[in-house]
Amino acid sequence: MKVRVDHAKCAGHGRCYDLAPEVFEEDERGHCHIPNATVPAGLEAKARLAAVNCAEDAITIEES
Amino acid sequence: MTTENPDPATGEVNFMDPAFAACPQPVYAKLLAHFRVATTAVLGTPVLSRYEDVIWALRHPEIFSSAMDVHMALGTERPMIPLQVDPPAQTRYRKILDLRFSHKRSLELEPQIRQHANQLIDGFIGCGECEFNSAFAIPLPCFTFLSLMGLPHEDLDLFIELKDGIIRPPVAPEDLVGAYEHRAKTGKRIYAYFEKVIEERLAAPRDDIVTYLTSAEIDGDRLTRNEVLDICYLFLLGGLDTVTATLGCSLAYLAANPDQRRRLVQEPRLGPTAIEELLRWETPVTMVPRLVKQDVKVGDVEIKAGTLVNLLLGAADIDEAEFVDAGRVDFERQRNRHLAFGGGTHRCLGSHLARMELRAALEEWHRRIPEYSIKPGETPQFSPSIREVRYLPLVWNGRK
Repeated sequence: MKVRVDHAKCAGHGRCYDLAPEVFEEDERGHCHIPNATVPAGLEAKARLAAVNCAEDAITIEES
Repeated sequence: MTTENPDPATGEVNFMDPAFAACPQPVYAKLLAHFRVATTAVLGTPVLSRYEDVIWALRHPEIFSSAMDVHMALGTERPMIPLQVDPPAQTRYRKILDLRFSHKRSLELEPQIRQHANQLIDGFIGCGECEFNSAFAIPLPCFTFLSLMGLPHEDLDLFIELKDGIIRPPVAPEDLVGAYEHRAKTGKRIYAYFEKVIEERLAAPRDDIVTYLTSAEIDGDRLTRNEVLDICYLFLLGGLDTVTATLGCSLAYLAANPDQRRRLVQEPRLGPTAIEELLRWETPVTMVPRLVKQDVKVGDVEIKAGTLVNLLLGAADIDEAEFVDAGRVDFERQRNRHLAFGGGTHRCLGSHLARMELRAALEEWHRRIPEYSIKPGETPQFSPSIREVRYLPLVWNGRK
């Protein structure tokens, strides 16, 4: 599974790194930062939960 | 006499009705079911309620502008920054402001907030009762604001007086001229206060927000004196009442729903989802205004350029089209994209700070006072617009 963030859409709600800190981090402004696009095995459900909690629809998930 | 709200024939909705402030969800549900575009009773301006319409408007500031000529209503001489400014200028301001209001930076204040929450509780826990708004919900955010801004804590009462002078001027409700004059006078005092602070920080820089604002650069340019003032003014108005209202609405809900409260106290794992659910259900900032810049159609209603519209965040947050079982308060709700902090480019700058304050306050309160209820024979009283619970008498037993 891969995750992507559209920085033009991200408004810094911070829900993603709150719900799945192993996948999403905050940059210095509190916006979404993805250090590694490939989601480690076992964290897929958490990544999906973070994505569906993004009010800006900024996170895309590619299921492999 | 009771009048239906909204008016079932016209969709006219009265947001100043105290019954709406106390319990807005039934009004939202009727708007969502019957009036995609309703109108306000006082000004006749359009009201958008559906989640899809509200989030669309929030994400399109080029159509739904925040730069409107209503700023005089809040005693200001210029638009507040960044709230009443559109992109691209707004985006530039947010770049430097976000750095100081990030999730990480907000957590730095948490130990101080917890300590202060406990000091407040120490003051009344032995009494077995308190009026929550004046004893806790007002002073805690004021303390946070003063800490953040690097201002002396002795100024607490002054700040409460200044923000009340703008938000609820001490004149009769129908005295619009008196209210305007009081706000203008208070506004001048707010500008004068921060002018002095700016002077002091320029002479002797410190590690606080005002110093940061006087030295921060956007693309190589420093903020002007007026820009710094217009940011400080917004912080004073935006940072105090909203958190007060959120604390009050949350405690009022938990006091009135003991089963939910006990679950939250007994199962700390529910904390994060419960806080998001309280924010969704209560949505203390019920609506935000926008000025339509070009003719738009919402459903089959045309809204003309130049119209002021109200985005009803509270209604969007109980829209069944977005939330499963939207009318139920579910402390385990997994998908919760509520708009209590708005959305799009103007997403509440203080949202990370507010979440931290709410979490710290609820945890400390429930650690010390896990069992409480609304004082028998009393009824909480809510103010409209921002749903502050201006009278919330709570009672409890035992000491901890």
